[in-house]
Amino acid sequence: MTSRIGPARIRMPAQAKPGEVFEVRTMVEHPNESGFRHDNLGRPIPRHIVTSFECTYNGREVFSAKLHPAISTNPYMTFFVKAVDSGEFVFTWKDDQGGVTTVTQAITVA
Amino acid sequence: MKRHKHDSHDSYGSHDRHVAGRRRALQALAAGACLLAVRPALATPEELAVALKETFGDREIRRGRVKLEIPRLAENGNIVPTVITVDSPMTEQDHVRAIHIFSEKNPVPRVLEMRLGPWNGKAMVSARIRMAQTQQVLAVAEMSDGSVWSAAADIDVTVSSCT
Amino acid sequence: MTHARFQEGRRDFLVKSAAVSGGLMVGFHMPAFAQAAGSGPEVTHWVVIQPDDTIIVRIARSELGQGTFTGLAQLVAEELDADWSKVRSEYADVNMHIKRNKIFRDMSTGGSRGIRDSQEYVRQGGAAAREMLIAAAAQQWGVPASECKAEKSVITHPSGRKTTYGKVAAAASKLEIPKAPKLKDQKDWKIIGTSPARFDIPEKTNGKQVYAADVRLPGMLHASIVQVPVFGGKLKSYDESRVKGMRGVKKVVAGEDWVAVVADNWWRANQAVKALPVEWDVGENGNVSSESIMAFLRTGLEADNVPVARKDGDVESAFASAARIVEAEYYSGYLNHATMEPQTATALFTDDRLEVWCGTQNGEATIAAAAETAGVPLDNVYVHKMHAGGGFGRRGPHQEYTKQAVKIAQAMPGTPVRLQWSREEDMKQGRYRPVSLVKVRGALDKDGNWIAWSARQADQSIIATVRPTMIKDGVDPINTRCFVDNPYKVANFLNEYAMRQTHVPPGFWRAVAHTNNPFVRECFIDELAHAAGKDPYQFRRPFLEGKKDLGVLDAVARAIGWEKPAAKGVHRGIAVVDSYGSYTAAAVELSVEGGTVIDVRRVVVAIDPGHIVHADAVKAQVEGGIIWGLSAIMHEEITIQDGRVVQGNFTDYPVLHLAEVPPKIEAIIMPTGGFWGGVGEPPIGGVIPAINNALFSATGKRIRSMPLKNHGFSYKT
Repeated sequence: MTSRIGPARIRMPAQAKPGEVFEVRTMVEHPNESGFRHDNLGRPIPRHIVTSFECTYNGREVFSAKLHPAISTNPYMTFFVKAVDSGEFVFTWKDDQGGVTTVTQAITVA
Repeated sequence: MKRHKHDSHDSYGSHDRHVAGRRRALQALAAGACLLAVRPALATPEELAVALKETFGDREIRRGRVKLEIPRLAENGNIVPTVITVDSPMTEQDHVRAIHIFSEKNPVPRVLEMRLGPWNGKAMVSARIRMAQTQQVLAVAEMSDGSVWSAAADIDVTVSSCT
Repeated sequence: MTHARFQEGRRDFLVKSAAVSGGLMVGFHMPAFAQAAGSGPEVTHWVVIQPDDTIIVRIARSELGQGTFTGLAQLVAEELDADWSKVRSEYADVNMHIKRNKIFRDMSTGGSRGIRDSQEYVRQGGAAAREMLIAAAAQQWGVPASECKAEKSVITHPSGRKTTYGKVAAAASKLEIPKAPKLKDQKDWKIIGTSPARFDIPEKTNGKQVYAADVRLPGMLHASIVQVPVFGGKLKSYDESRVKGMRGVKKVVAGEDWVAVVADNWWRANQAVKALPVEWDVGENGNVSSESIMAFLRTGLEADNVPVARKDGDVESAFASAARIVEAEYYSGYLNHATMEPQTATALFTDDRLEVWCGTQNGEATIAAAAETAGVPLDNVYVHKMHAGGGFGRRGPHQEYTKQAVKIAQAMPGTPVRLQWSREEDMKQGRYRPVSLVKVRGALDKDGNWIAWSARQADQSIIATVRPTMIKDGVDPINTRCFVDNPYKVANFLNEYAMRQTHVPPGFWRAVAHTNNPFVRECFIDELAHAAGKDPYQFRRPFLEGKKDLGVLDAVARAIGWEKPAAKGVHRGIAVVDSYGSYTAAAVELSVEGGTVIDVRRVVVAIDPGHIVHADAVKAQVEGGIIWGLSAIMHEEITIQDGRVVQGNFTDYPVLHLAEVPPKIEAIIMPTGGFWGGVGEPPIGGVIPAINNALFSATGKRIRSMPLKNHGFSYKT
């Protein structure tokens, strides 16, 4: 049974000039349970975290990350990308229980 | 674009084994009273040292070229905004390959590993991280020429000043 | 570097605001300690020395009545060799502390740490300043510093040269701070260990002290708040049209689980917030009651595989071979801090700058909470610390009042807003001493010797909510104190900890686990002693051999006259508890009239805190600790019904009345030296069990839950 991950939100420009360097802001909804908290009977709440993130730009990886339990709930990451050509950004998050979510965002570069 | 092998991405399984083995050391530290101990600058507890060795091998981790911005204080440490900027032209010849965040005193020393390249244009990343207690945070950048640069910052988690 | 804009250039500040019409107008002087940083050269960051030889010591911790504001200054002044008559204290500025990379070290005030955790580095600050002043004078005179002497703010040289600290302070401030200044030997202390007039007491007695609740600023408005009555619930909706037209009402501001009304005076704000129609989403816990909580705790006692906190020897075999086994269950309920000053904070938000006034126990927690709530960098936040109207652990880790005040102030930029919780809110939205149910068992051999014991706790953890990584393998290191670190040398002992978290928010109530766990331990040891047919004092002694606990136990036994028969109808109880680095014991004499009216005649508490700084302050903490314990055991309890706290005021959450205070309460202060123990909380530990043990002696009834009023008892008045 795969776990629920997402929805995810992206903030980046819809348009950019060639060579322009712009910021990409990403967030995915996820409890990101560290595994170090306890339930009301004092039992550890099992770890359940987003473990990887990848961003591709027209099929090429432009950013990826490996996440550990110390990332806050609803993992939030930002990075920069240089505009090259128009096309598609694809963002993929995976968690440690088989959950996967993907978001795509188009960009026009002219 | 060739995908370069990223040797800092060890598998999650091996990471867990390390965690189990470190619990005893942590227990010795945490037993008894909760003291907001005064820590010397740039302390590197055993677990963090091991993680750094695993990731960077014998390469020297130099101070510089990396700017780490985190608040000096956090109330409960659950959401600590962290911004890392690396001084690099981000060209094919000279760029940042990876940025790592490590924690000195969290139960798990690794926080985040990010892979970059010249396609980023700017080596500036941010994340929201959890700090279990007052400690030092380390940001480490791996350059395309293999050199390793870092910055450290202290953060105090005020709620962890318990009784 | 001045932090309070409106205070620039002003010492006294009288407010008569036209905005406060119809309400009570209060003339208001800014207290000396809250002014802009006393001007003058810094000789180390701990000390400012003015040309007239006034010495201002900067205090990082908070004054809660426990004496840090004076005690910390004594430590500095001692090493500084200052003329005490010209020393005064001032709170270290929190914003400065951040900008200078936490130069004042730890600002948190709790765990009876104020003196013992600071003493070394503040003394070093004083000693460093002294060396710098001498060096400056020596430089001016062209003589070696080693030939100069400093005493009472005067520096002399055998050649007859003489100067004062005030005259060389500016030059001294430019010198490098010595890294390893020499500290005095205890035998040379002239200020540490004495009882100088405290800096905070006069204003506390003549009404001049300005608490956070008393702050008045030009154009200030006042806010009262209601928070979701069932913990964990949320605000659903409210209808502000019903209050908008009420006299004086300016604005309604809401948070995730609260609504506040802002008006031109607090009374109107409170009337309006009480009249405001509010709908709450009470969440999952609307059915929780004290009864359901008790049943929940019981599952902890009955569970399999309860985490083990400590295991010595072989308890099972010892019990199997025992001649006599004693078993008991003890229960302790929720208690509220019930600070006389309700939770209060004033905030002023302008552009990107934020100021907060509050009686916080932790300036750093306040500045962090304020900055994070407002989304403003720490550097732009200014916290004005005020003496607290009672702290007791309520005002440090829990900064809701700060966050709420900031949120309200952000909704009204440029207007200072004073948020004060009503008494009802303060009672119902506490951070309570948590519940616990403990099953204790003890084993005696055929000669009545204590051979084994065990304590299984079903207990609500505080630390799991604020610092979960401290929980190791399910065990709470703080709430197992008194068991896991007990001083009794019994070969077989087992302490188990079953965490049971309820929706009621837990907090650090003064002395924390040393308020309920000693009740269990020290009363149960008495039960064992009686089962063995032995005297409770003598029963304990062999197991404390070589421990400092024995010193204080013997002291109270001697003081109460334990070895001599008591007067007719007078019964005694004894208990010994160490906590926060200090060793204490309590002995009590009481009589019971009509089977239910308890006449506490005498309470004696001995404390060994290693060293003492302000002798009278230690005595006051012992006396206050006795009052704290007497109040808790008889009167105090917070109960839950329909998920919410039942009690709302001192009518249904009574605390000890003056008439109920015993005629004789005594402090035996016996510092044995060589360590620094706390004083704010330790005296409380033995008081509750000593009373209960004396009560058993008087009535033959073994009470195993508090408060005593639930068992039909009352104090004689």
